[in-house]
Amino acid sequence: MMSVFEAAWVIARRDFVAQVYSRNFVLFLIAPILLFGFAVFVGSQTERVGNQPVVALVTDSATADALNIARTRLVAATSDTAFPEFRALNPAEDVRVQARALLADEEAAYSAVLSGTLERPVLTGPERVDEFTGRRVQLVVEEARRTAALEAARAQPRGGPIVRDVTQNAAGNLQMLRRLLARLGQTLIFTVTIMLATLSLSTLVEEKSNKIIEVLAAAVPLDSVFLGKLLAMLGISLVGLSVWSGIAGLAFTFAGLATDWVNLPDVSPAIGWPAWIALLLLYYAANFMVLASLFLGIGAQASNIREIQTISMPVVLLQLMVLLLAMNAIGGENETLAWAAYLVPFSSPLAMAAYGAQYEALWPHLLALAWQAFWVFVIIRLSARLFRATVLKSASGGSFLGFLRPWRRRTDAA
Amino acid sequence: MRAGLALEAHGLVKSFDGNPAVRGIDLAVPEGAIYGILGPNGAGKTTTLRMLLGIIEPDSGHRVLLGHERPLEAARIVGYLPEERGLYPAMSTREAIAFMGALRGLPLETGRKRAEILLRENGLGDYVDKPIKSLSKGMAQTIQLFGTIVHKPKLVVLDEPFSGLDAINQGRLEHLIRDEAAAGTTVIFSTHVIHHAERLCERIAIIAGGRIRFEGPVSEARDRLRPQVRLKTRNADGAWRGALPGDAAEAGGHWQFELPKAGIEPLLKALIDGGAGIEELSIERRGLHDAFVAIAGEAAAREMETGMAADLGEAA
Repeated sequence: MMSVFEAAWVIARRDFVAQVYSRNFVLFLIAPILLFGFAVFVGSQTERVGNQPVVALVTDSATADALNIARTRLVAATSDTAFPEFRALNPAEDVRVQARALLADEEAAYSAVLSGTLERPVLTGPERVDEFTGRRVQLVVEEARRTAALEAARAQPRGGPIVRDVTQNAAGNLQMLRRLLARLGQTLIFTVTIMLATLSLSTLVEEKSNKIIEVLAAAVPLDSVFLGKLLAMLGISLVGLSVWSGIAGLAFTFAGLATDWVNLPDVSPAIGWPAWIALLLLYYAANFMVLASLFLGIGAQASNIREIQTISMPVVLLQLMVLLLAMNAIGGENETLAWAAYLVPFSSPLAMAAYGAQYEALWPHLLALAWQAFWVFVIIRLSARLFRATVLKSASGGSFLGFLRPWRRRTDAA
Repeated sequence: MRAGLALEAHGLVKSFDGNPAVRGIDLAVPEGAIYGILGPNGAGKTTTLRMLLGIIEPDSGHRVLLGHERPLEAARIVGYLPEERGLYPAMSTREAIAFMGALRGLPLETGRKRAEILLRENGLGDYVDKPIKSLSKGMAQTIQLFGTIVHKPKLVVLDEPFSGLDAINQGRLEHLIRDEAAAGTTVIFSTHVIHHAERLCERIAIIAGGRIRFEGPVSEARDRLRPQVRLKTRNADGAWRGALPGDAAEAGGHWQFELPKAGIEPLLKALIDGGAGIEELSIERRGLHDAFVAIAGEAAAREMETGMAADLGEAA
């Protein structure tokens, strides 16, 4: 009898070759690139159109100028989108009526109308404006008043600009940036896994519909069928990842961003870039195997594509729940939830990838990877037993540790 | 396990959702034999084979396959063609055969070479690189059969191998089964078509209602029935009529009855003395079909005939 791993290799090789040499694989490689390109394009367009509210300035021109100058100064200190856009208009005889007419104009789409003077400004608009636009308009008005007061007194603000005393790091900043990295790592693993692991739901449908499963079940342990299919899918996903990263690298290089990327030493993860990138890959593989083995087990129970489609949505929701749990591990504010994230096998790879970005210790990663591998083994074993019992209608799938029988025999013989 | 046996099973029992499919099967298949498992549809043949191969576990009973109590441990030296054929449609014929061999531990490259030889030897050399989906059903079935034997197993288990094949392919398959047996391979096949078993098998098991009704050599099954005597006389009536056995029946001018236990000579003398005027007299050994009817019952035989008619229609 071939060992489970030998048999899994035969299955994995067949699946991998069949997938990679199919025409659909090109589509599989291109689709995320197209999606990403489309998202970047739409994102850039959205930014260009602008999303901040527009406030009509119905004041005399001196007040409008003072407000615009104050806004420009504040925007320079923050960002262009931090303050509402101002559009100056000539005041009509009845400003109150004019303001209401402006707010009713669907084409101009004003969020509020600012009238009056710097001393007695009036902001007209729905109540909600006070909470959002109102506070920012208030800041602009205060800045304009301060400037006007200084000009009136022919005075300069006391004191000079802040003198910079540059240090290598600041604990607060470093922590914040590492949390950001942790979140980025989690999102990356999650996004790639959600794209690929869900595919494993339908992996066994071909074998079931083509009746190949009986040929397989008569020749090799079912565990090796499940493991082989998972390894093939992991391999396929790694090919995809390599292609996508290569294309992303080229895009960065052409866009001149590669230099910026290299110049990011201040945000290095706690265990350093090389180790963290290696861990990201390992945790991606672990995350994929844990989730895909579960989905494969669930999908193996379905008898056709329609049933697969029905269970796809709960499966995606499960992945989202896992991500939310893993996000709780970042920062570790809630220790219980953080531990849950480290221990629950489905969130453990994501939580530990974040851990690597934040903490220097390496040994927890060895424990975590072993823990995750153990759960892959458990899930595959249970899925195979369930498949044998319900689909093949067999009374038993053998002992739970029968998985190790050939290995044990070799050890005994040795 | 007794020496000289390729397979031995005792008391195999299997139920599905409380419905018994197999109710206690004992089998002993000698090494190198062509062994037929006969029975009507639903008799429990496929369930029995699946249990023997370890695809499903029996509720009780045990089996020993080529010396292994766990059938998967003998997987490298066993070949199996399931009743419901299954191949990956996009694979080429060579790759499909090699893959099935690889599942049984045969290196892929060796499998590819053997696949090419098998295809060429059987007149399918032009199909080496053709995908399975482009083949006819019968041809795909032949490919799967090659995949079953590519790793040169010691035991080949074929579940309804003749089903769906035309007459030419059925003949080719019979030839292949004989070749395998001649090379020392034990061949077990299930069928609901008696004449395949009659032509090929040395030993058979007749299953009906989930139980073995007969197990042994084909000749022994036939010998359970006395030979049939067919008699035609010139004289329609006379004293000779009193010499005929009680079960004698006339149809189409011929009398038919079982050979009397005392043999043919006393009867022959009585017929001649009684002035029958013997025109024709033949003693025919009973066929497996008659034996099957006697062993499994009329209802099971009718089911077999229905299945056989369907298969012959398909083959035509």
